[in-house]
Amino acid sequence: LFQGVRQAQWLTKTKLVEGLPPPVLSIIDNPAHQLEDHEEGVKRAISHARLWDTTEVAPRREHYCPVLFEDLIHLCRLMSVKYPSLTKRMLARNYKISATWERESILLQVRGLNGILMNSMAPIPPVASKEEILATEEHVLETFYPISPTIDLQEVNVYKELNDTGKSSFRDGYPYSHPHTLFFLESANIRPNRFRPEQLRAKMLMFAFGNALAKAKVLYGNDPKVLEQPIVVQSVGTDGQLFQFMVFQLNTTDLVSSDGIKNLVWIDSDQNLYEKAQCIPEVKKRVVMKPAGIYGFQPDTFKKFLALYLHGTV
Amino acid sequence: MAASRGRRLLWHGRCWFSQTESGVPSQPPDSLYPPIVASATAKSKAAKRRRLEHFNQRVHAAASIEEKLRLYGQLQRPKYMLYPQTFALNADRWYRSFTKTVFVPGLPPRAAAAAAKAPGAVAPEAAETPAGAAGVAPEAAKAPEPGTAAPEAAKSPEVAAAAAPYLDMGELRSLACDALLQESFYQNKKRPFLYRDQDHTPGPFLTQLVSTLAAFLCGRNPLLAASSLDLKPEVNYYWHHGEEVVVHGHRKGRVDPVRFQIDDNPHLQIRVPKQLPEIVPLESDLGDVPVIDHKPSKLPLFKKQYENKVYIGSKVADPCCYGHTQFHLIPDKLKRERFVRANLEDQIEVVYRANGIASLFAWTAAQAMYQGFWNEADVTRPFVSQAVVTDGKYFAFFCYQLNTLALTVETIQNNPRKNICWGTDSKPLYDVVEDGSVKGFNDEVLLQLVRFLLNRPKEL
Repeated sequence: LFQGVRQAQWLTKTKLVEGLPPPVLSIIDNPAHQLEDHEEGVKRAISHARLWDTTEVAPRREHYCPVLFEDLIHLCRLMSVKYPSLTKRMLARNYKISATWERESILLQVRGLNGILMNSMAPIPPVASKEEILATEEHVLETFYPISPTIDLQEVNVYKELNDTGKSSFRDGYPYSHPHTLFFLESANIRPNRFRPEQLRAKMLMFAFGNALAKAKVLYGNDPKVLEQPIVVQSVGTDGQLFQFMVFQLNTTDLVSSDGIKNLVWIDSDQNLYEKAQCIPEVKKRVVMKPAGIYGFQPDTFKKFLALYLHGTV
Repeated sequence: MAASRGRRLLWHGRCWFSQTESGVPSQPPDSLYPPIVASATAKSKAAKRRRLEHFNQRVHAAASIEEKLRLYGQLQRPKYMLYPQTFALNADRWYRSFTKTVFVPGLPPRAAAAAAKAPGAVAPEAAETPAGAAGVAPEAAKAPEPGTAAPEAAKSPEVAAAAAPYLDMGELRSLACDALLQESFYQNKKRPFLYRDQDHTPGPFLTQLVSTLAAFLCGRNPLLAASSLDLKPEVNYYWHHGEEVVVHGHRKGRVDPVRFQIDDNPHLQIRVPKQLPEIVPLESDLGDVPVIDHKPSKLPLFKKQYENKVYIGSKVADPCCYGHTQFHLIPDKLKRERFVRANLEDQIEVVYRANGIASLFAWTAAQAMYQGFWNEADVTRPFVSQAVVTDGKYFAFFCYQLNTLALTVETIQNNPRKNICWGTDSKPLYDVVEDGSVKGFNDEVLLQLVRFLLNRPKEL
């Protein structure tokens, strides 16, 4: 997407709020969750993914990005000791989504393999209060005239509007029916093959919207309307070092017009988990300047990751 | 003479002109001349022995484990590649002879500490499998109802939260069924690629099952809380065993050790920072190691020359340097149906056994090398690891205890120790999945899997 998040906002009729929403922040700040104990574990996970996991000297991004993700999810899952309802989650890999909607007479569709989805049995409660939702009515979606909002989108002749996660991805009766979090791993080795942070955020927004829309259509039918019970889908994107966190709340499926209640998204972007991972010691003139290891570790990023994981069950 | 010796031996020992000699009264007076030792470069057996001894000294004196591993695998020569997942007939006998392993059918009885927790009430389970559970008996703390509650207690947790933790079989069964149903039924996937059936359904099912079970059980087993889960790791080990004469080439006619290398890729593995306890004492003898008179290439095994790797799944610096459990997925080439069609039903179990023995030997031996042991410095404590070999429906459980690394010709002569492998036959976890439900779920297999995951050192 050319304009990145701004374009995605227009396409999905969304208002952007910087930072994470208050319920998630309260999970982070709540000392009862003991998020600090995991620092050691996180450092070990990073070292394992970036330094130790290969017989070569340094692992490639294709290798360490998924390994880091798996290790972090493993750490998060171990929290289910304290919160038994965390076991009611299921990861679905290679997951396909398709959702269609109309936006000012342009038919848009989101489709494709979108990374890893975590489903849960219980939906996430809405994060924005009713007043905030109503306040979005006055918000005007920014357009970027003269660039058309559909620039960089592939125009395809769609003959069948496939619409729901229910039919195309999961069958009826699936117990873990609520999409909880989407994970995107930018793990291509070469930089041009990876998404830039801005584009990654836009992709996260589009897919989160697609999942939420599909779920709304399953729950409430195909008519466009304002939802009394908004649907919340979270999203985390990373390239192995930089993390983007996003919480999306679908307030309305009435997307044809540009007025009225908008959807909301909270984005926390460009969070570094660590500054640098030194695989071999940096040696200048026979003196070791920087021994091998992880530098610039920031525990807050993992706290946010864990808070997003726990959101909805605590 | 002095010059050639000086490369290896320290100078100050040889300078008999210096004054330091007088300060050593214990030297007998005939040390005026240096000791006469065999040449190091001549083409003689004594020289070869001296070179070997020098190599051993270098490895013993290596500064770090990485250096030791580097020196150990420095010389590259053609070696036999052992594949744990192989179609060769009776491969498990051959692998046992290469690794000096004794195979004991059935699983070992669990340690007394675990038995103490479930005093007498594990009768129904104990009758079925020889391994008593760690905390499975829900009625362990409840004296009044041991007998009647035993059959149902495994199914429903009506017993109120007792002081001794109990395992909720219903919960575990629902976790396993959910994972199975998601992968095989609920998630709409494309059709599997040709001959890639195992990656389509059983692979993801196994990953889901193990990760959810590990998370569920980590409250019970603190070792799991500090563990590291690897997806598709690499495990390599290189060793010498036996002798042969080089057949062709410029080294023809020389006597060489037979070199083996295992390069294994388990589907999933759990590594922990503390070692699992030993099952039997180091010097126990539980059976015989088969002796095979043929050359290894008759198995069939083929030689190749490449890097000699010793690797457990992560480098030496990782704190989780001991192994806990490995999970192997049988590939499509070795499916049960293929063996049945070829009238080789008895080889089905051989596949599971060969996989268990070879993979676990490689893993435990590599763990031992990471701690600094090698075939000249044999292990002082046994290394224990577990493995589950499955093809998605049938599960076989293996337990391995490494007692000795000394398998080369010189070191095996006076070595009475043998490695031991316990293993079960493959049993199905369920019968069939249809219409959104799992038919014929076998609790025993799940229970055994849970017991494996709960295995931990006695202190914890």
